[in-house]
Amino acid sequence: MTSKSFHMQNDLGDVDRMVVSLKTAVEGVLDDATMFKFEICASEALSNIVKHAASADKSDPILVQLSETKSSLNIAIFDPAGATPFDLRDHARDLDTVDPLAESGRGMGLIMQCADAVTYGSQDGRIGLILTFTKSGDF
Amino acid sequence: MIHTAKHDSDITVIRPGVDRLTAVNAKAFKDEVTALINDGASQLIVDFQDVTFLDSSGLGALVGVLKKIGHRGDLAVAGLTTDVAQMFKICRMDRVFTTYANVDAALQKMAENQ
Repeated sequence: MTSKSFHMQNDLGDVDRMVVSLKTAVEGVLDDATMFKFEICASEALSNIVKHAASADKSDPILVQLSETKSSLNIAIFDPAGATPFDLRDHARDLDTVDPLAESGRGMGLIMQCADAVTYGSQDGRIGLILTFTKSGDF
Repeated sequence: MIHTAKHDSDITVIRPGVDRLTAVNAKAFKDEVTALINDGASQLIVDFQDVTFLDSSGLGALVGVLKKIGHRGDLAVAGLTTDVAQMFKICRMDRVFTTYANVDAALQKMAENQ
């Protein structure tokens, strides 16, 4: 399995740079439609963790890992040290139920709708969100 | 951040001025468009032709602008790129906003409706 690690500053201003880097890393692995969903999920999940995951030290970078199996691409976004565990699957709202004139509340629902699988738990001794996408090529 | 151009019939075309309208800059976008509305602009077209990616915060900012205008005016969006149009559709925003293929089409229709 190929695996790549990335570090993002715990700052909204670093989210777009990270998302673009992740997209570049998976170029050719996902078809266009799945790449679009990957970009949405990465952007929403990284913004969410910066906005809502309290951490002991904001200067600690956020660890992001990409890995692949024969049939899928996985992105793991690990909670910063000291963050309270938060499983978005318990909080995501079906996009059909969101008030059309609401200004927020769509991000987690987007992740649930766009990722092929969403898990939250321990990997390599750290707690994180793991999103899976069916892939169409190789790294 | 935003770029504006005022056309005949007091229609203002707004370009967000970024290629990614996301949590990073959504509040600034909303604040700047809100300031335009407070200054009297009420017929607005947001031109997305140079925006390649829009996240839920960007959409939320756009909804905020729509609510700010309310019944005092009109807001349309134009020039949605493929991914941005898809984002509107996934979030059911294609049912909320009037969309046009490009600014010229939006200008023509909004002028006719005045």
